[in-house]
Amino acid sequence: MADGLGQLGGALAGFANFGTLFNVLWATLLGIVIGALPGLTATMGVALMTTLTYSMAHDSAILILICIYVGAIYGGSRSAILLNIPGTPASACSTLDGFPLARQGLAGRAMGISTAGSWLGTLFGTLCVAVFTPLLGELALTFGSYEFFWVAVFGIVVAGSLSGGDPLKGYMAGFLGLMIATMGQEATHAYPRFAFGSVDLAGGISLLPALVGAFGVAEVLQVMRGPAFRAVSSTVDSVIPRIRDVTQYWRTILRSGGIGTFIGTMPGLGEDIAAWSSYAAAKRASKEKEKYGKGSVEGLMAAETGESACVPGAIIPVLTLAVPGSAPAAVLLAAMLIHGLNPGPNLIVSTPEFVYQIVAMLIIADMAKLFFGLTLVRPLLWILLVPRERLMPIVFVLCTVGAFAIAQRTFDIYVMLFFGLLGFVLRELKFPMAPLILGLVLGDLLDKNLIRGLSLSGGDVTPFFTRPISAVLALITLVSVLWSIPPVANRIGALFRRR
Amino acid sequence: MTVETDSFASGSPPPSPRADLVTAAVFVAISLTVLALALQMPTFTDRGGDPYTAPGIVPGFYGLVLAGISSILAVRALRRGALKRQAETAAPSGLYSNARLAIAAGLGLVYTVGLVGRVPFWLASALFIAAFVGAFEWDPGATPKARLRRLAVAAVIGLVAGGAAHAVFQEIFLVRLP
Repeated sequence: MADGLGQLGGALAGFANFGTLFNVLWATLLGIVIGALPGLTATMGVALMTTLTYSMAHDSAILILICIYVGAIYGGSRSAILLNIPGTPASACSTLDGFPLARQGLAGRAMGISTAGSWLGTLFGTLCVAVFTPLLGELALTFGSYEFFWVAVFGIVVAGSLSGGDPLKGYMAGFLGLMIATMGQEATHAYPRFAFGSVDLAGGISLLPALVGAFGVAEVLQVMRGPAFRAVSSTVDSVIPRIRDVTQYWRTILRSGGIGTFIGTMPGLGEDIAAWSSYAAAKRASKEKEKYGKGSVEGLMAAETGESACVPGAIIPVLTLAVPGSAPAAVLLAAMLIHGLNPGPNLIVSTPEFVYQIVAMLIIADMAKLFFGLTLVRPLLWILLVPRERLMPIVFVLCTVGAFAIAQRTFDIYVMLFFGLLGFVLRELKFPMAPLILGLVLGDLLDKNLIRGLSLSGGDVTPFFTRPISAVLALITLVSVLWSIPPVANRIGALFRRR
Repeated sequence: MTVETDSFASGSPPPSPRADLVTAAVFVAISLTVLALALQMPTFTDRGGDPYTAPGIVPGFYGLVLAGISSILAVRALRRGALKRQAETAAPSGLYSNARLAIAAGLGLVYTVGLVGRVPFWLASALFIAAFVGAFEWDPGATPKARLRRLAVAAVIGLVAGGAAHAVFQEIFLVRLP
C-alpha cells in the first residue's frame, strides 16, 4: 500500500512540469471539444491523436491520449444538455434529464451537476485502478493459454450480447473482426493467410487504420447522410456545482461509480452501457422516481458518474490482460503496443510503476476536466455552431493522415476506406461496432492461445474446460450466450419468479 | 445565451427481414469461402510440424462458427417473413439522404485514391475541403452573386484547413504526410 502510494507520488511529481501541464491542458480541451461535437467520438479522437503523438516519448503520448479520452467522454454531455443531441453515444443517457433541466432554464445547473458527477466518477474509477489493477495483475499471472483463449471468447460474447441491439448481430460482428484479424502472416510458420500474393496483405491489417475507418470515415458518411438541420436553443445560468446536489446524492454517486467501473472492466461494453445501467439502478433505488425523465438532478448525476467512472474501469483490463474494456480503450491498447509498452499480465512484473503512472495521468486529466468544465462554457458553446458541412471534410482529412502516418503506407489509407464503408454498411444494418473492433484487437490473443493450447494438449480440448479458471470463464460465456436467447432467458426468468 | 446548431442525430430505421436475409446470405458465403480457403492451407506436417499449429485451424474455426451464427440469422429472417411480399416502407423523406451520402463518399474516394500522393498534401486537402464545402453549401435558389460568395468561402476554408493540416502535422508534430 505504502509502496503504491510512493510510486503514485513519484509519478505525480514526474508530471509536475510546464511541458506536461501544457500537454494536459490542450489535450483535455481538445477531448472536450471532440466529445461536445456530435459526430466526433472519443474513439475517433484517441485514434487520431495516436498518430499525432507517435513521435513523442511514451509517457507524454499516453498522457495525451488519456486526457483526450477523459475529456471526450465528459464533453459529450455539453451538447446532450444544451441541444438534446448526445455528443458521443456515451452521453445519450444524459439527454433524458439534462435537456429537460436546460428547458427549465437550468442549463448551467445541469452542466454543474454533469461536471461534478463526471469528476467524481473518474476519481472513483481511478481509485479502483490503483487498488484493483495490481491484484488483478497478479491473478492474471496464473493464466495460461487455455484461460487467455476464454478471456478472448468471453470478451467477444459479452460485447456481442450487451453492446446494444441484436446479440446475434453482435456475435457476427465479433467473429467477422476475428476473421479479419487472421489476415497476414501467422505466428508459428509465418504463412501468409488470405494474402493472395499481395505483400501489403501479407503484412496484415493494422489496427489503427481499421479503427480510424470504422469510427472516423463511417461516422462522416453517417453524419452526412443523416438529418440536415434542426435548430435548438437553450439558456445558460451559473455552472458552479451546488454542494447540496453532491451531498444529497452521495449514495447515487457511489453506486454509479461502482457500476460504471465494473462495466468498464467488462470487455467491449463501454461508457454508454455504463451510463444507462447507472441511470437504471439509480431510478430503481430513488425516492423521487417521478422526476426521472423530467429533469431529475439525481438521474443526470447517475448517468454522468457512471459513464465517467467507466473510463478508468476500461483501462483496468487493458493493463492486466491486454483486453480493452471499451472501444476508446482498444485504441489506447493499440497505442501502448505501438509505443513498445507491454500491457498484460507481465506489466505488473516488468514495469509495475507504469500502473501508477496511468493512475497519475487519470488524476491529472480529471483535474483538467474539472477546470475546463467550470471555466470554458461559452467558448465551447460557440464550437457547437460549426456546421457539419465544414467540419466533416476536415475530419476526413484527419482520418487520412491518421491512417497513413504510423507506417507511411498508402495501403493503410485503402484499409481505412474499406473499414469506413464496412462500418457504415454494418451500422445501417444495425450491427454494433464494439464487437467488430474487439474481434480485431483480440484476434491475435485468441489465435496464439488456441494454437498454443491445442499444441500443448496434443489436440485434446478438455483442458479448455477442466482447468478451474477456464471452466469458470467457459461457464460464464455459455450463460451469457444462453441469456441472450430470448426464449431461454424468459424460461430462466419464469423459474426464478415461481420460486 | 442562445445556441442554435445543426443536428447530427443519426439513427436510420431498423433493417427489414429481407435485408437481414440478404446480410445473412452474404455472411454465410464469406464464412464458407474462408472455411474452404483455410482447408486448402498447408499443415507443414511434411516438414515435421505439429498438426495443431496448422495455419488453417483458427480461420477455419471462425468460418465454421460465423457460418453457423449467420444461418441462425437467416432462419430468423425467414420466420419473420423475409420471403413474403412486403409493403413499400418509405424511408422518412428529408431525414436521410442517399444523394448526400453519395456525394460525401464520392468526394472522399476522389481525395484518397485520386489526389493523395499525386499532388502535395496541402493542395489535395484544400481541393477536397473546398469541393466538399462548396457541394454541400450549394444553394440552387440563391443569386449568382451569393453562389459566388459561397464558393469563395469554401475555397478560403479549404486553403486555410489544408495549410493548417500541413503546418500542424508536418512542422509541429513531425508526422510524415502522404
